[in-house]
Amino acid sequence: MAANKSNPFMTPKRWKAARKLVQYAALLGFIALFLASRRGGWATELVNAPLRLDPLGMLANLIASRALLTGSALALIILALTVVFGRAWCGWLCPLGTVLDIASPQRKIQPIFKEPARLRSVKYGLLFTTLVAAVFTNLTLLVFDPLTILLRTLTVAIWPAIDRIISAGESALYPVALLQDPIDAFDKLVRPALLPESPLYYRDAALFAAFFVGLIALNWIAPRFWCRYLCPLGGLLGLVSKISLVRRVVVASECTGCDACARMCPTGTIQFGKNGASDPSECTMCLECLRACPRGGETFKPVIALAKLQPYDPTRRQVLASIGAAAVGAGILNSEMAARRDDPYLVRPPGARENNLGSKCIRCGECMRACPTGALQPALFEAGLEGVWTPIVLPRLGYCDYSCNACGQVCPVQAIPPLNLDDKRVTPIGKAYIDTTRCIAWADHRDCIVCEEMCPLPEKAIKLDETQVRNADGEMVTVKLPMVNRDRCIGCGICQYKCPQSQMGIRVFTLGASPF
Amino acid sequence: MTNLSRRVFLRQMVAVGFSASGALLLAACNQPEQTSVPIKPTAAPQPTTAPSQPARATAPQATATAQSTAVSQAKAATAAAPTAQSTASSTGVPDMVVAHGGDKPEELVNRAIQALGGIERFVKPGNDVIIKPNICVAYHTYEYAATTNPWVVAALVKLCLGAGAKRVRVMDNPFGGTADQAYAISGISEQVKAAGGVMELMTNRKFMKTDIPLGVDIKSWMIYDEIINADVIINVPIAKHHSLARLTMGMKNMMGTVINRESIHGRMGQRLADLTGRIKPALTVVDAVRILMANGPTGGNLGDVKKMDMVIASPDVVATDTYAASLFGIKPEQLDYIGAGVKSGIGRSDLANMKIEDITVAG
Repeated sequence: MAANKSNPFMTPKRWKAARKLVQYAALLGFIALFLASRRGGWATELVNAPLRLDPLGMLANLIASRALLTGSALALIILALTVVFGRAWCGWLCPLGTVLDIASPQRKIQPIFKEPARLRSVKYGLLFTTLVAAVFTNLTLLVFDPLTILLRTLTVAIWPAIDRIISAGESALYPVALLQDPIDAFDKLVRPALLPESPLYYRDAALFAAFFVGLIALNWIAPRFWCRYLCPLGGLLGLVSKISLVRRVVVASECTGCDACARMCPTGTIQFGKNGASDPSECTMCLECLRACPRGGETFKPVIALAKLQPYDPTRRQVLASIGAAAVGAGILNSEMAARRDDPYLVRPPGARENNLGSKCIRCGECMRACPTGALQPALFEAGLEGVWTPIVLPRLGYCDYSCNACGQVCPVQAIPPLNLDDKRVTPIGKAYIDTTRCIAWADHRDCIVCEEMCPLPEKAIKLDETQVRNADGEMVTVKLPMVNRDRCIGCGICQYKCPQSQMGIRVFTLGASPF
Repeated sequence: MTNLSRRVFLRQMVAVGFSASGALLLAACNQPEQTSVPIKPTAAPQPTTAPSQPARATAPQATATAQSTAVSQAKAATAAAPTAQSTASSTGVPDMVVAHGGDKPEELVNRAIQALGGIERFVKPGNDVIIKPNICVAYHTYEYAATTNPWVVAALVKLCLGAGAKRVRVMDNPFGGTADQAYAISGISEQVKAAGGVMELMTNRKFMKTDIPLGVDIKSWMIYDEIINADVIINVPIAKHHSLARLTMGMKNMMGTVINRESIHGRMGQRLADLTGRIKPALTVVDAVRILMANGPTGGNLGDVKKMDMVIASPDVVATDTYAASLFGIKPEQLDYIGAGVKSGIGRSDLANMKIEDITVAG
């Protein structure tokens, strides 16, 4: 990336083109891996690689879980990249950064307000609080990690919406006889490879979409608002960039102080009236300034020195405040109701509960993408505020497929253990209970048996008892009453999912510690 | 890139609007109502080996060629003249063939269909054929007898293609796991593709409200329109235990062609008869190579599987179900869908009066 005007081939224009090429390739790669993380897609070690490249997620997971995962060593690549090239990750690779670049308003490059430099320290505050909270085994703040934001939003909001729009178009055009064959051919192409066979539904998709739209909208206040002021991963890489090797350097003899570079800088780190001075911790190596300089007075070259300290750099006070905030936050979360009693419907993916999911999950949503039935959903407050957006099984939206173990395979941090299929099939995630006041057979004395039929176990956990009962009119009727053998039940939830009684005649409850 | 002006954008929106409404207009013009009786014209002439008087007039439903065989026969017979039954036997072709023995399911199918008068009796050159196996879950391989034997399905694919079928598609709508997974795990996908058939995923879009004019309990249901529109439907169930229906075989296999199937459970016997009467499989081949004696329809326990090495083939799905039930020691009167099927004229259960050919295939 050491570029200057003496290089005849890599002109500033070409450098910018190269950066954009890399950015788009990285974004497309991220989306491709997202798509391929569906069950039966590409190898799981490959599809979850972007998350394992993320130093923030991996570091926080390492601290909170107290366990070193060999796979997370991938993050060292990004750290090494940062030691050499500063925050090049942010400018060249980060898929969320690319999305924010694409979605920027074209005209206004400079902030619409006089930026308070201290705002830049928010990301450091977030970073320290995240890492200190991890010491208290809390990973809630990873919901602000850029990669988890993008992956989660793709899973829960963007991709389902695309699927719904395409399906609506297909359905609208399908009655035209001429179009039926092309539509079928198109369908065969995209389903099940890219889109689900049947529509999947996600809880609070609109909320996730709104969060994402809000994040993009901040671009209108200042370009890359998120990256400048808020991103905790940017903060981490920014700190490392204090010692980065290759930096932006202004050739003093060429600089006329015209501030053309400052006007072009998307992160606003080139300050006006300072002869092009910038902070390596804020510079994303985007090279826009190379093009801006009318005299070619900019260059990027190796510098061995600690970057100059800035007023917004983290101070001792800020670090202490972060520790305090994390400690108090952890204390409060640990005195929440959820820390004492599980929500009755807190059904976790197979093996995750015993595996201490809360202190491992980085909230990336990869498991929700992999789940073929849409059973895995982002938790709201079932596991307390602490567990927000961790995976939870909602059997009314989908069931845990008896022949699927994709969530554990795809999880980048083994928060859901990578069980093989045989083990997964005998790992209970909850227990089904019949609500005899709603069950069609128990309450209305009519045969139904759907739950028994659906039960996937070789020796069914739901059995039918053919009994004579007296109905509301006093007549004796014979009915097959379903009963659950909870020693066998694994809580997969297909009974609840398929129950024809809309108010649910059978429900899966969390695994409680049984007194017996 | 130039900015899109408001005017251009609006102009484009208007264009899109016009083309969409044009498309809908076109749709209204060239598509008969989805809810009416089959769209496919009655083109092909009478089959050669099949009965001489198929009584088309009394069977207005008989559209595709294959349906002029015994199925619509039976319907026509009960509707008009009961004496017209079993014309097939009078021409020397058995009403039903049971082939057993050996360990090559494909051979069983070939011999059974041959004895039944050959696949040409059901499939004409250029026909669009859909084979409907039972691939109800994505849980186990075929040895567990929850899904139809792959070689039984593949044999039928080969026969149909050999008879000049335009294309042969195989599909089901599993209730447990995703369809592509179920197709793969059952082993059916591999064998069907090797045989030259096409595995097709069923999509929600194509379940259409379909009238069932002769239905007793249900007058319409959301049925898969490809199944309704195909020239020939071949029904290839596996014989299994089921707690409500007691057994799931040919008629119960029709559940895979509809949505909202939990509601069929309400009055299953008559509703299955109504559905079967509407879909009218031209041929039913019950796979009894392995049958599932308990914990059906999902299975998973080899201890519940009984190896029979048998297939039962007939154009009469009620008859095949009646025969297959006897393998479980269950009498036809214990299965209410068989009673309903007979009453609705879908088929017969009086096996004693039918011509049944028994073929033993050497191992």
